[in-house]
Amino acid sequence: MISREICQRVLHKAVSTGADYAEIFAENTVNHSIRMIASKVDAINDAVVAGASVRVYKGLRSVMASTIDTSEAGLLRCAEQAAEALGQGSAQIDIVLKERLFGDIHPIKIVPSSMSNKEKIGVLKEAYFAAREYDPCISQVSGTLLDVDHNILIASTEGLYAQDRQIRTRMAISAVAEVNGESQTGSCSPGRRMGMEMFDTIDPKGIGLKAAKQAVIMAGAGYCPAGVMPVAIGNGFGGVIFHEACGHSLEASAVAYGQSQFTGKLGQKIANEKVTAIDDGTIPNAWGSINIDDEGTPAQKNVLIEKGVLKSYMIDKFNGRRMGMASTGSSRRQSYAYTPTSRMTNTYIAAGDDKNEDIIASMEYGLFAKQMGGGSVNPTTGEFNFAVNEGYIVRNGKICEPVRGASLVGKGSDVIMNIDMVGSDLDMGQGMCGSSSGSIPTNVGQPMIRVSSITVGGR
Amino acid sequence: MDYELFKKAVIAQCEAMGIEDYELYYETGANTSIGVFGHEINDFASSEAGGVCFRCIAGGKIGYASTQSFSEEQAKNLVIWAADSASVLESEEKVFLCDGGQTYEPLEDRAYPLPSTEELAACALDTQEKLYAANSAVVDGSQTQVLKETSEIAIYNSRGLDLHYENQVAGIVVSAVVSDGTEMADSYEIKLGELSKLDTAAITAKAAGDAVQKLGGNVAPTGQYPVIFNPDAMSSLLGTFSSIFSSENTQKGLSRLGNLEGQMVAAPCVTLIDDPFHKENPSPRNFDGEGCPTHCKNVIENGRLNTLLYNLKTAAVAGKKTTGNACKGDYASSVSISPFTMYLANGSCTEEQLLEKAGNGVYINSLDGLHAGANPVSGDFSLQSAGFMIENGKKTDYVKSFTVAGNFYQVLKDIRALADNCKLPYAMGSTAFGSPSVLVDGLSIAGK
Repeated sequence: MISREICQRVLHKAVSTGADYAEIFAENTVNHSIRMIASKVDAINDAVVAGASVRVYKGLRSVMASTIDTSEAGLLRCAEQAAEALGQGSAQIDIVLKERLFGDIHPIKIVPSSMSNKEKIGVLKEAYFAAREYDPCISQVSGTLLDVDHNILIASTEGLYAQDRQIRTRMAISAVAEVNGESQTGSCSPGRRMGMEMFDTIDPKGIGLKAAKQAVIMAGAGYCPAGVMPVAIGNGFGGVIFHEACGHSLEASAVAYGQSQFTGKLGQKIANEKVTAIDDGTIPNAWGSINIDDEGTPAQKNVLIEKGVLKSYMIDKFNGRRMGMASTGSSRRQSYAYTPTSRMTNTYIAAGDDKNEDIIASMEYGLFAKQMGGGSVNPTTGEFNFAVNEGYIVRNGKICEPVRGASLVGKGSDVIMNIDMVGSDLDMGQGMCGSSSGSIPTNVGQPMIRVSSITVGGR
Repeated sequence: MDYELFKKAVIAQCEAMGIEDYELYYETGANTSIGVFGHEINDFASSEAGGVCFRCIAGGKIGYASTQSFSEEQAKNLVIWAADSASVLESEEKVFLCDGGQTYEPLEDRAYPLPSTEELAACALDTQEKLYAANSAVVDGSQTQVLKETSEIAIYNSRGLDLHYENQVAGIVVSAVVSDGTEMADSYEIKLGELSKLDTAAITAKAAGDAVQKLGGNVAPTGQYPVIFNPDAMSSLLGTFSSIFSSENTQKGLSRLGNLEGQMVAAPCVTLIDDPFHKENPSPRNFDGEGCPTHCKNVIENGRLNTLLYNLKTAAVAGKKTTGNACKGDYASSVSISPFTMYLANGSCTEEQLLEKAGNGVYINSLDGLHAGANPVSGDFSLQSAGFMIENGKKTDYVKSFTVAGNFYQVLKDIRALADNCKLPYAMGSTAFGSPSVLVDGLSIAGK
């Protein structure tokens, strides 16, 4: 993308006013999407995102400048801008770049750009029509097949010169079921850090069926009652509870600034002893996986909480300076135009030893949140919310009628203490996580868990 | 190469491939922001970004491709990709590009001098000091960010359209973090405009004051209550459900307002306006995402649905004229539909009188998780909320960590009254939402 020699000259310019670290991040990304609605292929879009940024640090100050002009002149202008913004000073460091190959722990069998639109449409249609034809009350289905080929280059004054190619594929089906003039929705949107071979292991029809089934069940459901009750949360995307209630508050971008309820609590018990939570960017071909993070640090498996005790935060280089701690390979950004910061990769609650049937049987009256939707958190206060896309009332230890329109709210530090049963059927669900450094692919995951008491928003 | 040369290369490629009906949508922008943490600048970012989207009609279908890389090779690729996409599309709806030679309402000149980098830095440091001084509960973690931004959009097509739009904003974002020793709370405030004219003392006092108000507080009791949404809360709710007014969604069965034009969809006290030229929106627009002229319209007038929002394609399907509401999320997005500045018109009472009308209920000033807890297709919502109890017509205890649940289609019908305090709390970018305080009957609160 950009030669080592050019990077070296640009970095020299970047540190010319006394920066103690400088970095170039360049990318060339092709996003390809196919959309279907009303049983027809409705839009196809190819979008190239290409540009670079130069970032410099001096102590606890960070300056970033970005551009779409990736010629040497454009990059030098960027470096000059960053150096000037840092202020007066003179160059303090020598730069010798050595190319480094990290290897690829996420092999790709079918690079999406090598498949024609027609072939891809064929795969999308399998899923689409499985949903469309599932039940007469399915009134609309929309479907998207997205593939991303994200090529990055990172060079820094620490001598790093490395490139990585990150390919990912995702299909999203959303179904609407209409009963008595009221509409309810269901969705399913699996993704992998893979090429089109993703569909060798995930049957497209299954994606469509899952979305349609959920819409039909919810169309026949009454409203979820409101109140405080025990809740069993299903595996896979249910892990969004940990992502929101705790994960964001363990990111250095909150911890380093005292904006987290977990600042200064390393080594302390912050969760129920049933809870072991991990952020692992190294899981082969998982949706949130990386080879190297966006500062060039190799991906790691970070145990965040072990049997309830806080073991680690998720840290990027810049915020690590303020905390006096090393990077954990957690620096991520949507694109060159965003300043990177600490983010999650594949974050999950590890499997426990409770049985799912025991979890349900333990509840006299409560909610089984089989399928979760998204949510959000304020890391400063720990107050979080998330939506239940498919819920069921549990009565006398048995799963009963489906309910719709539920959400769960609470405080992160309380809810992770209240996770008092953890099942063994660990699975992952895929999401796009939005934060200050943009929208990035992340996995959430867990086995079935029980929260002994939480506020259920319903009516 | 620069954009003008790139454009010529694209046009040459179209000629070479015999493509006669096409459009180039170019968007570029530059922004600089400076952040202060503690008492020092800790973050400076400047970016120049831009890109172009090419659309062409081939065989009655419209293909898209976009890029940020302006080279001869990319110019060729754009046309080849878009034409290839068009060749496999199946949708039978008629597609359009906007004709040239139309009349556009002139935009008033609202430009003001943008601050230099030094002025941005000085303002950021000064504002942060005012934030610390605003209240003794303000602690480290509080941040001030000051920014300036310029943007430019140009649409050129083979039908004689050649439009150009420029805009700029400057502004301050203050996030106050406060602590009473046992608990922390935060609040933020955004103000856009000419930096030297912004009242930074008032902005910081508001952010700090709002944060302090959130310390302590109880969980609201579960039950059915009359609810007042203040302008911030109602604007965010309206923004979340604004897609129900899109004709694209009604035509696809993703909104329940299809076939309801001309009928009552809200209480008679409700008038909903979409104004591309609104005084308080810093980014007024006189052409939409397809290049069609924009105009102000009452979407709901005294409870009756006057019109949905249309672009060229959906208007043709409905046998109507476009309302000039085509939008592109960014240059690369497909053309969709969005309002510009959509707001509920003021009612006739003050907020105090609205509280008296409510009697006993809940006053909500903050809603969270709107992207997840609200479903625009069904209209259902269940959202994390904070605010005050209303007792005997007065705001009393601060309450938080509860949810409010209902259905937006029903909310429109159950609005009992609106106050006269309409504002646009988060006007940034070309889409903004506004509302006065609104009294709604019969919503469900889940708390303790």
